[in-house]
Amino acid sequence: MNGMRTAATVICICLLSFSSIRAAGPVFETEIAPLLKVRCVKCHGPSKQAGKLDLSTPAKILRGGESGAAVAPHDLAASRLWERVDQNEMPPDDPLSPAERQKLKDWIIAGAPGLKAERRTANADEHWSFRRLNAGAKQFPPDVKDRLLIASSIDQFIQSRLESAGLSLSPLASRTTLARRVSLVLTGMPPSAEELEEFLQDGSVDAYERFVERLLAQPTFGEHWGKYWLDATGYADSNGYFNADTDRPLAYRYRDYVIRAFNQDMPFQQFLREQLAGDELAGFVAGNEATDEQIELLEATHFLRNGQDGTGESDGNPDEVRVDRYTALESCLQNIAASMLGLTLQCAKCHDHKFEPITQADYYRMQAVFYPAFPAAHADLWIKPKDRVVMAPRIGETEIWNARKTQLEEQLAKARDEFTAWAKQNRVRGDTLFEDTFDDSTTLAARWSTTAPGDDVPSGAVPVNLDSTNAPAARIHRKQLEIIEGSTQGDSWISTKQSFDWTPDAPGAAIQATFDLVDHRIGPDGTQAQRIGYLIATHDFNDNSAVDNGNLLIDGNPGGATTVYFDYPGTDGNRTVPIGGTGYVPGCNYGVRITNTGNGKFKLEHLVDGVPEGQSATLSAKDLPDGGFSFEYCCGRSFIVDNVLVEALTAATKKENPERAKFEEQLADRRKELERLSRQTEQHAQQRPGRIAWASDVTPQPPAVHLLTRGNYAQPGEVVEPAGLSALSMGAKLKVAQQKESQTTGRRLAWVNWLVADDSSAASLVARVQVNRLWQGCFGSGLVSTPENLGLSGAPPSHPDLLDSLAARFVASGWSTKAVLREIVLSHTFRQTSDASPTALDRDSGNRLWSRYPVRRLDAEAIRDSLLAVSGTLNSSVGGAYVPTSRDGAGEVVVDEANGGSKRRSIYLQQRRTQVLTMLQVFDAPSIVFNSTRRSRTTMPLQSLSLLNAKFLTNRATDLAARITSRTSDDVARIEDLYRTCFSRLPTADEVDAARDFIAEQSSILGTSETTTQRAWIDLCHSLLISNEFLYVD
Amino acid sequence: MFSRRQMLQRSSVGFGYLALASLLGEDAQAAPADPLLPKTPHFEPRAKRVLFLFMKGGPSAVDSFDYKPKLQEDDGKPCPFDKPRVQFAPTGNLLKSPWKFRQHGESGLWASELFPNVARHIDDLCMLSSCHGTNAAHGGALLKLHTGSDNFTRPSMGAWVAYGLGTENRNLPGFVTICPTLAHGGMKNWGSAFLPADFEGTPLGNASVSSDKAQVKYIQNSRLTRDQQRQQLDLLNELNRDHMQQAGAHAALEARINSFELAFRMQSEMPLVEDLSSESDAMRKLYGLDDPVTANFGRQCLLARRFAERGVRFIQVTHSDAFVQWDQHGDLLQGHSKNALEVDRPIAGLLTDLKARGLLDDTLVLWGGEFGRTPVAQGNNGRDHNPEGFTMWMAGGGVKGGFKYGATDDYGYYAVEDKLHIHDLHATMLHILGMNHRKLTYRYAGRDFRLTDVHGDVAEKILA
Repeated sequence: MNGMRTAATVICICLLSFSSIRAAGPVFETEIAPLLKVRCVKCHGPSKQAGKLDLSTPAKILRGGESGAAVAPHDLAASRLWERVDQNEMPPDDPLSPAERQKLKDWIIAGAPGLKAERRTANADEHWSFRRLNAGAKQFPPDVKDRLLIASSIDQFIQSRLESAGLSLSPLASRTTLARRVSLVLTGMPPSAEELEEFLQDGSVDAYERFVERLLAQPTFGEHWGKYWLDATGYADSNGYFNADTDRPLAYRYRDYVIRAFNQDMPFQQFLREQLAGDELAGFVAGNEATDEQIELLEATHFLRNGQDGTGESDGNPDEVRVDRYTALESCLQNIAASMLGLTLQCAKCHDHKFEPITQADYYRMQAVFYPAFPAAHADLWIKPKDRVVMAPRIGETEIWNARKTQLEEQLAKARDEFTAWAKQNRVRGDTLFEDTFDDSTTLAARWSTTAPGDDVPSGAVPVNLDSTNAPAARIHRKQLEIIEGSTQGDSWISTKQSFDWTPDAPGAAIQATFDLVDHRIGPDGTQAQRIGYLIATHDFNDNSAVDNGNLLIDGNPGGATTVYFDYPGTDGNRTVPIGGTGYVPGCNYGVRITNTGNGKFKLEHLVDGVPEGQSATLSAKDLPDGGFSFEYCCGRSFIVDNVLVEALTAATKKENPERAKFEEQLADRRKELERLSRQTEQHAQQRPGRIAWASDVTPQPPAVHLLTRGNYAQPGEVVEPAGLSALSMGAKLKVAQQKESQTTGRRLAWVNWLVADDSSAASLVARVQVNRLWQGCFGSGLVSTPENLGLSGAPPSHPDLLDSLAARFVASGWSTKAVLREIVLSHTFRQTSDASPTALDRDSGNRLWSRYPVRRLDAEAIRDSLLAVSGTLNSSVGGAYVPTSRDGAGEVVVDEANGGSKRRSIYLQQRRTQVLTMLQVFDAPSIVFNSTRRSRTTMPLQSLSLLNAKFLTNRATDLAARITSRTSDDVARIEDLYRTCFSRLPTADEVDAARDFIAEQSSILGTSETTTQRAWIDLCHSLLISNEFLYVD
Repeated sequence: MFSRRQMLQRSSVGFGYLALASLLGEDAQAAPADPLLPKTPHFEPRAKRVLFLFMKGGPSAVDSFDYKPKLQEDDGKPCPFDKPRVQFAPTGNLLKSPWKFRQHGESGLWASELFPNVARHIDDLCMLSSCHGTNAAHGGALLKLHTGSDNFTRPSMGAWVAYGLGTENRNLPGFVTICPTLAHGGMKNWGSAFLPADFEGTPLGNASVSSDKAQVKYIQNSRLTRDQQRQQLDLLNELNRDHMQQAGAHAALEARINSFELAFRMQSEMPLVEDLSSESDAMRKLYGLDDPVTANFGRQCLLARRFAERGVRFIQVTHSDAFVQWDQHGDLLQGHSKNALEVDRPIAGLLTDLKARGLLDDTLVLWGGEFGRTPVAQGNNGRDHNPEGFTMWMAGGGVKGGFKYGATDDYGYYAVEDKLHIHDLHATMLHILGMNHRKLTYRYAGRDFRLTDVHGDVAEKILA
């Protein structure tokens, strides 16, 4: 293809202009552009370009006019604009004021920041978010004129900017509004009636502060704030990778770890150390028992494997599988970049970052840190996701589990022996047509053959070696028949030499073939047979006889239903039908029965211990020519059998044979008990204590990590050593020391120590990123509106000094999340009303100056959780395995409400990447591919449709109505209760009237009986639950 | 002087303007009052909407529209050139097509007897004989075709079209997909990814649901009649207006009020589209609704026409069962015969009907699968996936009818002439809709994204 095109378009993508870089000197956008606009653009703008000069956009300013460059960065003398201004020539009639002049001068001297990208020349240290906090942060908040609304230093920063825009903070919101707001912000749910009452009744001056403390101490706090972190770090309960998206059944332990960490207010610095290098900190030695503390640390490392990992399912060629491995490694880096560093790194995978001071070498040095855990180029070292598990049982746990396991296994074995003995003894036999108990090891060839009765062994086919162990082979050993597979071609068997009539003449008559399955593990490595294959009507080895069909393969499946192949291995071999339902386990007797059902039809039933079970199939006579009974070889079908028996039954049904009926009933009862025991044993065996899904280095000796030329996995370049990002590293090298106990390289521990080192650039950036995220959680958007990107290509902060000051106090508080949140929610900025004055709407239309509290829709989870909470049906149990979701027939993802966990908070529902609960997805809950650092808040008709019609909503309305109407029969009291529950306030008189009118009118439409009144209450509750006052926080 | 944003906020435009706060910052693209309002394309469009007939699993080009006499001659011989480095499954020697080909119409384009009815429209079809993709597995290939990327989550082409052009009917979504498959990327194939969710496809049912049960989610209320729900909605409006008095006038709050009204209208409109009882017997027959073999897909096609008439911008119809319908690794004869039989009459009927209504002039019909199938055999009677060269076709929308664009080699394995990559297909489709694929961008995560990434050339030759 044409290289030119590629080159040109690559430039398109990468050289995006960005005019918002903040550097020293006046800010172009907010200070210089408005100045030019007011004073110059009238004559030098879009409508008129005097001197061919247009000063309306950065690009046009750079281009200059007919007399040359208007602005030369750093160079006053070469800047024509300055020259004309300085000489008072421009603007012609009304020269710039000294202040304006100074501003322009400072701006040009500072390099005219904002005019163009200066990545190539800019010193990375100058970027605001890379500066060290104590070096760059303003220690004191700015002065403000109006101190009336100042409750904290946050307010000073906010008010100062507002005042310079001719605005001010808005008045305090009402107490009830505030109660609801702060409760939603801190816990993700409105206050309960009791909590609200306690707050409203509290007359003390610090009532609000005390309310906030109670909220911060609730377990719901960690559930709400933990979710933000889980989203940012890409947590999911599945592996991703196209449609496979397999389960991560143990990921929940990390989710619970995060929730606990937030509830305990774990120092954030420590929180990061544990997630990146918990295994190296734990000092846990594999095979030992673990302390609670060690278990927490091991759980924390699941952070590293939150990204998608399709290496358990990838089935492509080696190139594709390598891509999948690299995807897991790269996702790990990307999650760290987005959640901790607030930087975009991906660009540097292929080339030096175009926007950020991150080189390609930087990227691969960072990759080298995590490579020992995810050795993507080393297929031999790679561990698939389901095997990234460490056994770290609590002390004594394994012993107890083992004892119970032995006990259950013994119990089961005993019960099975008893059962088999009983079945054998009491079985009702028919007329024996053939029987082989394999008691005489010399009789095999006399009774069995490697072909079919009367058919020749075809040339070229692999015969079965009778009385031999050279596979494929059959031999009598220990008075049992051993079948040893030998080929992958499905056309070798041993058959009885005797032929049988498989189509009994009389309706009701039957023929059956059965055998005991002694064992299905026979290979030298003890692998389990994938199939237990046997055939009936075996008559024709290579499908060349004139007789129809036959060679009916019954392919017994250890895992479940059995498959019947017709005319095997002939051309119809693709035709299949399932029978039975029970899997093949050693110790049971299996087989099939064919019964004449009249009209030329024959029923094929699956027999377990002589009794039909599961589904049956209908055959015709041509499917069942006379032939032998045989066992199939190949494709994982090695097993041991005994007691092959072919019988004729004159009366097959229970009705016709009462003796058989009695046996079958008793057998069914006994089998039930056996199955229960078996399930219990199996379950217990799977619950081996101490399984933790984690990530750790797969080798203590780090493999060489290469920079990949142009990001191409097939083009390894120079070897790189682990290091911190150069733009943040102050020249310090990582102090890497191999960790003996954890058998790890020590790279991650060294890296995270670099990341959070006191007073470092890296730690300063980390603190800003986290504080910005906390602000976003409180106000809906951050001081930087791109929380995953605080780099040069990210949005500039609306209040850089405030962000720095908050970040500095975050660090000073010992990295306490709750301390920062407390400070924010106690500020007047947080407590002001959401009702905007016309001036505020005019001058701060987007509310980037925070002139009022921003009204916004609740996040999906908060909507669902609040609906459950106010309707009184929330199940507030904490932690544990996820509540499964499923896709119903219409494609909607739901939680079955019959499931006990269905009413738990959304964070405990299964977070499968490709199966997001529809109710949440409609309200913008992300389907996690990489991660999600902020939500969009769309307003779509599908949301309204779901609010109006989804079962989840009508169910909650019904619950709420029942709750409200059961408490009192007084309409006014009910309406008051309803408003208090849903909106955390009492209704106005008008609202009470409106609600009463609605009940009356809706009842009259519905009818007048008592149930219709109840239905009207449901409709009223429904309306409140889907109203803006409920769905929005204000 | 007011900014555009303030103007929007002051004027009480019907639908309000959407939650602006979240759009500020780096992704502060001009936030329109209503993201789905019709938008002016970059230049004069040739078509106003797309109707995509998606054949899931990969229909074979050398058995349908890409006639290869040499393949018939050399049946059973080894493939004379190298097979692709990346193959999905091992394959054997050349396998001739079990179907007869003949020339049709004035154009004399070839079609096999698999599609006798579609072949009658051959002079309206623009054969894209040189399509090629990059992924030999269903999952990747579906995503590539639908989103332009087989390994990243990107907006669906339907979402891009809705984003670029808005919709002409405000009672319906801008992008609907009828009975889409839930496998192989599933909803990512109609998702909006980082584009605002307003643009994502609205599914009616899915591939494992019969098309007469295909419905939009939550479109019906099981408890209330229309009157009762109207009454409830009136109360809701009252509550919401009161709330605005308290919280102040906010665009998002206003938008929510309007969205309920739209939902209520959609509840009435959707069943009208879905209710085929107003269609005459002749019309039902035209689409094959009289025959159980063709009824299921015929109903999907008829629904698609009804959406097209009502101004929906991008309509996708998927032919698939719960599995991978056109995926004949074995039993090509039986499988493809069955599949073609199910779609041939309905597609021909759709083309006839669109033409009769004048809708074909401004509707771009696109037919095809995620890839084609190899000219070499898999097993003894099947064909493997082939993304290296395959056929799709277009009709209507200002493309040349009875025209063959590009070609594959003598056996139909590789595209060799006027190669049309999936990115080129996307670029061409956007061009036909009046959009420059290089300018249809959305800024996300620090850069501008396109449907065509950094690729895509418009196939100018196919434009009428």
